[in-house]
Amino acid sequence: MAQLQLKNLYKQYRNKKSKQQNDFAVNDFSLTCNDGEFVGILGPSGCGKTTTLRMIAGLEEITKGEIFIGDTKVNDIHPKDRQIGLAFEDYALYPPLNVYDNIAFNLRAKKISEQKIHEQITQIAPLLKVDDLLDSRPVGLSGGQKQRVNIARAIIRKPKLLLLDEPLSHLDGKMRQVLRTEIKRLHKEINCTTIIVTHDQLEAMSLADKIAIMKDGKLQQFGTPLEVYDDPANEFVAGFIGEPPMNLMTVKISKNMDEFFFDFPKSEVKISVPQRYHSVIVDGMTVKLGVRPMDVLIGDKTSKGSRVHVAVFENLGEERKISVRVGDEFLTLTTAEEIRLKHGDIIRLQVKAEKTHLFDVETGQRIRATD
Amino acid sequence: MNLKLKRICGASVRNTLLALYAVFALFPIFWMILITFKTDAEMYTTTFIFHPTLHNYEEVLLRTDYFWAFLDNIIVSSLAVVVSVLAGVPAAYALARYKFRGKEDLAFTILSFKFAPEILVILPLFMIYQKLGIFDTYFGLIWVYQLITMPLIIWVVRGYFEDVNIEIEQAAQLDGYPWYSVFLKILLPLIKPGLVAAALLSFIFAWNSFTFPLLLSGFKIETVTVASLKYIASDTVHYGQMAVAATVAVIPEVVLALLIQKHLVRGLSFGAVKG
Repeated sequence: MAQLQLKNLYKQYRNKKSKQQNDFAVNDFSLTCNDGEFVGILGPSGCGKTTTLRMIAGLEEITKGEIFIGDTKVNDIHPKDRQIGLAFEDYALYPPLNVYDNIAFNLRAKKISEQKIHEQITQIAPLLKVDDLLDSRPVGLSGGQKQRVNIARAIIRKPKLLLLDEPLSHLDGKMRQVLRTEIKRLHKEINCTTIIVTHDQLEAMSLADKIAIMKDGKLQQFGTPLEVYDDPANEFVAGFIGEPPMNLMTVKISKNMDEFFFDFPKSEVKISVPQRYHSVIVDGMTVKLGVRPMDVLIGDKTSKGSRVHVAVFENLGEERKISVRVGDEFLTLTTAEEIRLKHGDIIRLQVKAEKTHLFDVETGQRIRATD
Repeated sequence: MNLKLKRICGASVRNTLLALYAVFALFPIFWMILITFKTDAEMYTTTFIFHPTLHNYEEVLLRTDYFWAFLDNIIVSSLAVVVSVLAGVPAAYALARYKFRGKEDLAFTILSFKFAPEILVILPLFMIYQKLGIFDTYFGLIWVYQLITMPLIIWVVRGYFEDVNIEIEQAAQLDGYPWYSVFLKILLPLIKPGLVAAALLSFIFAWNSFTFPLLLSGFKIETVTVASLKYIASDTVHYGQMAVAATVAVIPEVVLALLIQKHLVRGLSFGAVKG
């Protein structure tokens, strides 16, 4: 168990044909992962998250920057000596060997006695529920079973750092949930500093103590799931975290009798600007307004809320998802209320003003209110 | 007609056709074995009814040095395959895994060795061999046989390496094994079907090679293909003896093919479809 520190990490792939210098796969990435913490690196595909993980593992050369595991700088240390366990995305089990030998493979490389190997495997196999599979070959296993073996193989070496590369991405929905819970439980039990790479925000939110959100090789935000959810640093994070995603709409600020409003273009919808934003806005300014679907309420007939038409109504069982047309854009809201609507119905919108976020239209950066 | 009857009919038609084909395909071998028992006098006058004799076998196996040609052929062909495997498997790995300048050109060049008719390159080779002093040596023949055996092994095995997920190698790297144990313990079992099939085919091609041993050796070292020529005398062709030579020459191929039949079909079809 150890702390992991990434300091100003860069990765640039050599490309002889195009002489562009700026295409960094990972760009100035710094992160500190404390002892025993579970950190998720989250981002869309191609954002450099797997590259980062592979640099930590030592499978990818570091262009610039430093990686520390514990107090040791590991830049020039061979992967096998970094004391890490890596669970590969495609399982990467050795097909000619059975499950037992797959798990034992690493221990045998260290010349550990067969008796000790047997002890360790019988200890770890039930933890990952692979004790019944030890004699079978990887070919016959299901995706979930392969991933369990893969993880067992990674943790048998008692790593200081456990790296999971999209461990659930090839599994079907049900299995994904089961294994997600099990990974969480496993982390509690072995309490090993763990990094998980994923593109699924739900996975990161539910598993990780802290989430690092990446885009185009750059770290966007690093914080607890609650922080990145409630207090996104920019438009990208706001739109990436949460299901259904946050509504992000371009609005214009207008002033009417000393009161500021968010004006939705090409519609009559107006929302009063909360007091806390008054110091950072001016009349006529265009901003991105972000509001989560659950923070938009349906007002009753007497409320002042703006009238809008329902475009799509989806009843999802425990909640209902409603899309309404506002100008050229759609706004999504969810409600736990037992209501039934149909296309064309008119409802009144009420937005929880204190739950709105403002972003710069150009840079996407958060415009923070001065409380 | 009900479904069951249909299925039975289909199966019997299929089997009849297959049996017919087997007869068609095996008939030359049957014919060859048949004439090994005929004397030269009966060669053209009889078909199935004649006075069987072992004279041809005695003549070929005991009174000529055919046996030594057979041994030479085994030495040259199997060593050629061994050399091809030892050099070709790492080459195939490099072609499958690494990116380097001119990779595809190199791969194609290797394949193109098989395009040129042997007769086209034999003259310069003959002169080079004379100059180098490797004419009519084991080394010389094994070397030239690489033209026949190497491209096939490289191309089949390359396809197999490409199918092996690179993560498996990285996992082994993380597990702390040196590259050669990874290769022997993990990769080799995975490419085995392809390697066995390609090696067997290479062996057969090398075994049957005629032009190279005819022109680049033939005095000290002789292969069965060249040795069979001797039964063409100036006055007559000893078909019976030639048939004995051919029959004996076929034995190693048939035995090998039967032994690794399982790998052969699976190995070649896998590589072909996925490669």
